[in-house]
Formats: sequence, C-alpha cells, structure tokens
Amino acid sequence: MFRNYIKIALRNLWKDRTFTALNIVGLTAAFGVAFLLSMYALFELSYDKFHKNIGSIYEVYTNEQTNKGIESSESNPIPFAGALKEEVPGVEKITRYLTGAPLLTYKGKTFRVGSSWADPEFFEIFSFPIIEGDAKNPITDKNSIALTSTMAATIFGKETPLGKSITIQRGGEEVLVTVTAIVDKIPAASRINFGAILNIKNLPDGFYKENLDRWDSHNHTVFMKLAKGISPIQFEKSTKNFSSLHFADEIASAKRDGAQPNADGNYRQIKLLPVEDQSFIVIKNGLLTVNKTLQYIVLGIAFIILFIASVNFINMSLAKSAQRLREIGMRKTLGAGKTQLFFQFWGESILVFVVAVVFGGLFAFALLKPFQTLFDTKASFISISNPLIIIGAILCVLLITLTAGGYPALLMSRLGTLQALKGKLEVSGKNRIRNILMVIQFSIAIILISGTLVLWQQLDFLKNKDLGFNKQQVIAFPINTKQDHNNVLQLLRNEFDNNPDILSVTAADNILGLGRDGSNMRSVLGFDYKDRELSTNMLWVDYDYPETLDIELLKGRTFNRNYAGDSLSVLINEAMAKELAEEDPLNARFLLADSIQYTVIGVVKDFNFEELNKGVEPITFFMDGNSPMRYAYVKVAPNNLSQTYEAVKKVWNKIEPDTEFLGSFLDENIDRTLMKERTMTTMISSGSILAIILSCIGLFAISLLVVSQRQKEIGIRKVVGASVATITILLTKDFLKLVGISFVIATPIAWYATSQWLQDYVYRIDLNIWIFVAAGAIALIIAVLTISFRTIQAALKNPVESLKTE
Amino acid sequence: MLLELNNIFKWVTQGGNRIFLLKDINLQVEEGEFISIMGPSGSGKSTLLNVIGMLDNFQEGEYNFLNESVHSMKEKNRSKLYKEYVGFVFQAYHLIDELTVYENIETPLLYKNVKSSERKALVADMLDRFNIVGKKELFPSQLSGGQQQLVGIARALIAKPKLILADEPTGNLNSKQSEEIMQLFKELNKEGVTIIQATHSETNAAYGSRTLHLLDGSKNHI
Repeated sequence: MFRNYIKIALRNLWKDRTFTALNIVGLTAAFGVAFLLSMYALFELSYDKFHKNIGSIYEVYTNEQTNKGIESSESNPIPFAGALKEEVPGVEKITRYLTGAPLLTYKGKTFRVGSSWADPEFFEIFSFPIIEGDAKNPITDKNSIALTSTMAATIFGKETPLGKSITIQRGGEEVLVTVTAIVDKIPAASRINFGAILNIKNLPDGFYKENLDRWDSHNHTVFMKLAKGISPIQFEKSTKNFSSLHFADEIASAKRDGAQPNADGNYRQIKLLPVEDQSFIVIKNGLLTVNKTLQYIVLGIAFIILFIASVNFINMSLAKSAQRLREIGMRKTLGAGKTQLFFQFWGESILVFVVAVVFGGLFAFALLKPFQTLFDTKASFISISNPLIIIGAILCVLLITLTAGGYPALLMSRLGTLQALKGKLEVSGKNRIRNILMVIQFSIAIILISGTLVLWQQLDFLKNKDLGFNKQQVIAFPINTKQDHNNVLQLLRNEFDNNPDILSVTAADNILGLGRDGSNMRSVLGFDYKDRELSTNMLWVDYDYPETLDIELLKGRTFNRNYAGDSLSVLINEAMAKELAEEDPLNARFLLADSIQYTVIGVVKDFNFEELNKGVEPITFFMDGNSPMRYAYVKVAPNNLSQTYEAVKKVWNKIEPDTEFLGSFLDENIDRTLMKERTMTTMISSGSILAIILSCIGLFAISLLVVSQRQKEIGIRKVVGASVATITILLTKDFLKLVGISFVIATPIAWYATSQWLQDYVYRIDLNIWIFVAAGAIALIIAVLTISFRTIQAALKNPVESLKTE
Repeated sequence: MLLELNNIFKWVTQGGNRIFLLKDINLQVEEGEFISIMGPSGSGKSTLLNVIGMLDNFQEGEYNFLNESVHSMKEKNRSKLYKEYVGFVFQAYHLIDELTVYENIETPLLYKNVKSSERKALVADMLDRFNIVGKKELFPSQLSGGQQQLVGIARALIAKPKLILADEPTGNLNSKQSEEIMQLFKELNKEGVTIIQATHSETNAAYGSRTLHLLDGSKNHI
C-alpha cells in the first residue's frame, strides 16, 4: 500500500513537473530563508539565557525623577552595591561591573584586551566556568587576573599561563598582576564578554579608591542575584528608605528644580532588569525600556514567507485537484475510504515538503557565511541547536506540512463519489478560498514593500541629514598608544603641516559616530547653577575643534592659542545656552566639582554628537591641555579623499608603528551607528523581495491553470470575434481585482506600522501617501507582468486549436 | 435473492418542480442472473445502476442487498458492502492513468488489505485469464479501447464480486470489440457472477437473461 502511494505520488509529481518545480523552488527558497531568519532571531533572543541562575539575576538601575521627566540611569556609585546588600534584604549576591580595554604586556609583547572589572561574587552570579586555576575565588586578590582560554592562548601561546605575571596599563599607570584562573570560552550568546577579568579594586585610585565613600560619582553597572522567595517588585519597593538615605542630596535638588515624584511619591526608584533583557535595552524619552520588536519582526517575516509559499502550495493543489477528480471517484468505487485518500494526497504533499525542507536546509547552510557577515551575527545552526528549539522547529515544519498539504487533501478526500466521477466540482466555494489566500498574500507583499520603501527613505534621510558638522571631509582615528597622547598629537600635527591636502587637525576625548575601534563613551556632568541643577555632556577638545569639524560658531570665539586663560574657558552649544537661560550666555560662569570657575567664551550651533534616535543635548567643550586626547580629527581637502587617507595612515604608522591605524571618515562612523536600521532594512527588503517573488510564482501557477481551464471559452470567444486585447483583459481582470483589494487592506496596516516605527526617531521623514501608492503600483505591475506572460499567449492562440483540445 | 428494490423514488427539485429520475422502481435480482437495462438517453439507466451500486442515494423506497437494508445504512458500512460484493465497469473505462495495467488491476485488493503474495497470485491469474500478461507494464494510454475495457473488467473481477454493474461497457468500442466483451460477460455469468448492464444496443441486451426497459425513470415492462 505504502509503496503504491509513493509510486503514484512520484508519477503524479512528475506528470505535473512544472507545478512540482514551481512548488519545490518556492518552498525551498522559503524554508531556506526562514531557517536563516529564525536562526538569527532565536539566537538574538537566546542572549544570556545560558546562566544557571537565570531568572534571579538582575541588573540594578535607577529611575530618577527630574524636572525634564523620568530618566533611567544604569551607572552607580562605588559604595552602592555593598550598602545595598547590607541594608536591603533580598540581595543574595551582588557585583559591581565595569568594562574597558587596557593594554596587557607580557615578555615585551603588548595586547589591547577587552576586559572587565568585577567583585569576586561575579563568578557565583554568572555561569562562566573556570577550567584551570582557582575555581572558587579567581579574582579575590587586587592583583589577580583571570583570562579566557582564548585570550590566554593569544598571550602565552603554548606556555602555562597560571601563576605568570603580566603588566596591565590603565589610566596612565602600570601594575603587575598574576594569572590565577582560566575561564572557559565565553558563549557566543553572551552580552557580558571579556578577554580578561580583574578585581574591581584593581582600578586606578582616581576611579575606585577615591570614590569609596562618594555617592555622587556614578561609574559602573551593578548585577545582583535576588534571594529566593522575593519578587523583583517587592525588592524594588523595599529600597525606598535606602534611596532616600543615600541620595538625600540628589532628591533635595530634584525637588528644588521642580521635579515631580513618581506614583509612589519617590524621587528615585531602584529598579531591577532581568539580565537576559540586557541586549534589548532601548532608551525611550530617557526611560529604559526593553524592546524585542526587531527580533520578533524577523521571526514574523520568516513565518510570513513560509505562509506565502504554503499558500502557493495550497492554491496549486486545489486548482489541480480538478484534474484528479476522476481518479478520486474511481478510487472510491474501488473501495478507497476517506482516510486512505487523505493519506494518499497528504503523502504527496509531504514528499514535496520533505524535498523542500532538505534543499532549504542545504540552501541555508550554503548561505550561512555571507548571512553572518551581512548581519554581523554569530548565529549558526550550532548556536541554536538546543533540543527545545530543534523539537520546536520539527513541530513547526510538521504543522506547516499538515495544514498546507492536509487542507487540499481533506477537501479532495471528502468529495462525493459520483460527483467526482462525473468531474463536477462546486467551483465557487473553492475559488473563494483561493481568492482570500491570494489577497492575504498580496497584502503581505504590499505591506513589506511599503515597509522597505519607508525604511530606505528613513535610512537615507538619516545618512544624508545635516548633522551640523562636516562628515565627508573629516577622518577620525583613535590615538592608541603607550606614549604620551599629547606628544603623539604634537608629532601628528608636525607631520600633517607639510601636507597641503590636510586642512586642519584637532583632537578630542570622544569620537563622533562609531569608529572602527567600536568604542564610544558618554560623560555627563551635573552641577548647580544659580540654584538649579543643570546637566551637560562633557567633551575635552584640543584647539581648532569647531574649525576642523565645521561646527558653526554663533557667538563669541573659540579656543585660541593666544589666550593663556583658555584652560578655564568653555564652549557650549545652543542647547546648553538654553539651559543656562541667560540673556547673554557669553561670560556666564559656573563652578564645577572642585570649585573651579569656568567661563563661557562662545556658543556653537547644535550638532548631533550622539546617535540619531536622540535629539541634541547640552554639551560643553573643555580644553585644559592635560586630559588625554583619545581621538584625532583630520580635515582633508575634498579632492583625492582616498589618497589623503593613505597619507594620514602613513604618518600614523610612522609615529606609532606597533598599533593598527583605525581611521575612518566620519560619514562611515555615522553609518556604523545606523547598523540596526541597516540590518532591519536589509532583512525587510530581502523579505519583501522574496515575498513578492513567491506571490508571483503562485500567481503564475494559478494563471496557468485558469488559462488551461478556460481554453475552450477563449476559443469560443475568439471565434465569435473577441480581440486579443479584450481576452487578455478578461483573463487579467479577476487577478487585478485581488491586488486592488489587497492594496486597500494593506495600506492602512503599513501606514500604522511604519508610523509607529518612526516614532522612535527624533529625526524622521514625513509619511507620504505616495510611498504606499508606489508599493501598490509595484505589486500591481509585477502581478500584471506575471499573469500576462500566459494570458497573452493564450489569447494569441488559434481558436481552432483550443477548441480541438476539448 | 441477491438484491431487491421496492418502490424506489429519486428526484431533483428544479424551479420548485420535482423532476423524477427514478419513479417507483421495483426489481428483484437472483444470484446468477444477467440483466440488461435498456432505454433512451436520460431514462435513468445510469442512475439506477448507481443506486444499485450504492454510489448514489434515493429519496424513497427500500433497498435490500443480501438481506441487509441498504437504505438505512451508514455511508461507511455501505462502502464496505459494495467494496466486498460489487464490481463496476464503465463506458469510459475509468482506469487510473498514472498506474500500469498491473497496478490498476491490483488497486481494489490494496483497499481490501490483501497480503502482497496473495495479491501477486490473484493479479497474475487475472492477467493470464484475459491474455494480457504481455501488457501488464503498459499504461492505459498505450492500450486500445477494447484492451482498456478488458483491464477495466479484470479490475472489476479481481475482488471476486458477486455482482458486476456495467454502464454501457461497449459504448466506446467498435462492433468486434463489443462482441468480445459481451462474450466475456456471458462466460462470467456462466461461472456464476451476477451481471447487470445498461445498454443502448438490442444486440448486447440479447446476451442477458432478461431485459428491463426504462422510460423517464419508470419501468415500462419486463
């Protein structure tokens, strides 16, 4: 019996090879892409889930009420963690945590290593197994260091790393530390990532020791393990007294500045964020929120693509069932039961699906490498191969096969014997389902196309937005050196002086956009000004900063080498001037932390120094001539950009031959900050391209079938005198109606979804009805082209032939 | 008694009027009979055969097959019954195009869950008997009409039915082929198979042991 089914299935599939091929191609592409996309989404969603204590590990952050609304702060003062554990019940383990990239030197070789500083309890909270050395307290000692196995291999090669001493350079000092443990390779899906980990006490005194009793200097993250039996909400509530005790000053100034307390009457609320949600943090209007939309959209697209391909399969099977009516009837008179027929037809579907799943898997496997590069992800088959996901995937595939293959099979097996034998079918009902499915298909295609168009426009808008500084002509690079930063800067200046293509040179302690070193930071300072608390971003700059970056000076002057007192002068931007609320912001003076008085000498126009989903915040430029300048900015002549880039690189390599030159133009840096948008655009546009291709495969197949079913009608109409055009229109009209309905359904949904998405951006395009009309038109044109391929052919056919075939 | 129809009525409603397809049919068939049903197109021959074959329902009347009342039976049992006892032969042969001669003949046995070895023996016997061993690997489209109908009959016989229902079995065949087929029916009948055929042809009807004339759904005379 079973062999018989297979035999018939294969023969049937072979007989309809056009449709079989269309189905297999469509389903293979769909499964392949769905595998890749869901792999990406599942991998991203699986971040940090490998810790054994997951469910009770939290990041501690604070929601502060300010006069501008709520602001979330993830950084905490040094004494915070210890006090919290002691004073608030429920903290089982707690660790302070901080990352950096110090230079490690061993036997004359220097490595820049992404490192973390933490308390020893770190290893009891998180699951980073220690494979060699002190498994219990690897970083208890101030001068101990634990390395990951990968990093140990890089530094020590074949030597035994345990017990060896290496020098670590951070913040201008060098310290000798001893390797006490080797940590297993960190899983790919870990947000916390380091090559080396040290005790937090190892940090420079200016960072750690001097802040031991200071509650106003926030500089690190805190993670904790909540004790059993206490809910995070309970815990958050019980921190009320803790906050009002330790942050009394902050609360007082918030009150004074007119901040409103939150619903519970607090000005500061300590909050717990599940550690597995860390990767999805989005700061929205200052408030920390968790947003997994991108991952779910990607997962959704995977399913939508499978859905579209399955719809094709269902529609083709239904349309083809007309040709198999006689067989069904015959089998029934020979004694076939409903179940037997169902399994026969379902078996045929399964055959197609199995082939498609296998090919799709191979397809995904082949595309994995380029996919990983394109989306900058470590997602792979291995990274998501836990039994739960595999079982889930198998169930999903089975379910899709069951519905897509089972539905036509069910319809066919339920036909009456005589009805089937006579070849009669109630056509209307079946076409309705087909039409509904096609409308859904095209609606999805139109939504995805509009989404793509909106994303493209928004991305383009962000890329080309006037950011208030010159991004095309400025090369920025990190001054990665063990030498004195300012010396190096001076050497650079001297070298660049000789090059006519280099117009201006400056430096700052922070980068604009995201450089090739992938690092970025933010320093915010709060201070009292005329009995109000103001906060500003801080940037230490060198001479010529606004000039090099073409930031427009609105008032006053910029730092000038001729003024000796400029180390106590500051430049502010418009937003800061607004904060000061002075009639003339020039010459405004304010006292900062150590009671040093700074004077405003100039106001620059607002420029976007942060990511583009944020507006322009107040910023103040300082120039004391001592702070290490971490990034150099070089403005070059607009011609020969790439040549000048090479020249800059050469100069760097001459001055610092041991460190790689990581320079890039600022527009590239800005592009890098748009990674998320680009990923989303690529995903959605590839999804929509595939969706439209699959929808067209379906449409093409259906048009083939409709034409063959109406061949006689076409012949008769032609004999009676219809022209090619009228017949083409007759055959195309029905399908175009469906595309029209899809457009009406899809546009409001697409409008709503895209406008919601745009809400996340301070700078955004205005939605224009033409985007959606364009999406509809694209779908329509592609549909017409697809259908007319066959309909025109049919209309051109000699009517004698089509009548003869009946 | 093989089967018995008592006052069978079958109608469709069109525009509020009942159009009778079968009107007050009474028929008793003994085992071993060879009955011909005659009548013009649309007189209800095929409908009657379908009713007897339990492929079609009727609105009124009683139908007993081997002393079981078909009219009160559930669809499932009914199909069990005809699977067991009835073989169909059609004017248009209705072979399954995707299957070879051998597989077409084998199909009813598959649905009766006959064991593989037994199936082989039965099909081989049947191929032998109809002299089509050489054609067993061919597909229906490679056969002439007469040969296709031979396969159709072989398939109807393979499950050893008590009753063969033949709806215009020679309708698509030339006279020589027709004669061969009718001869075959006669032989089968001699071996004890009950046959009911619907036909237009007086010559074919003459092969039967009795003839039933239908006109507009009712029996004229026997």
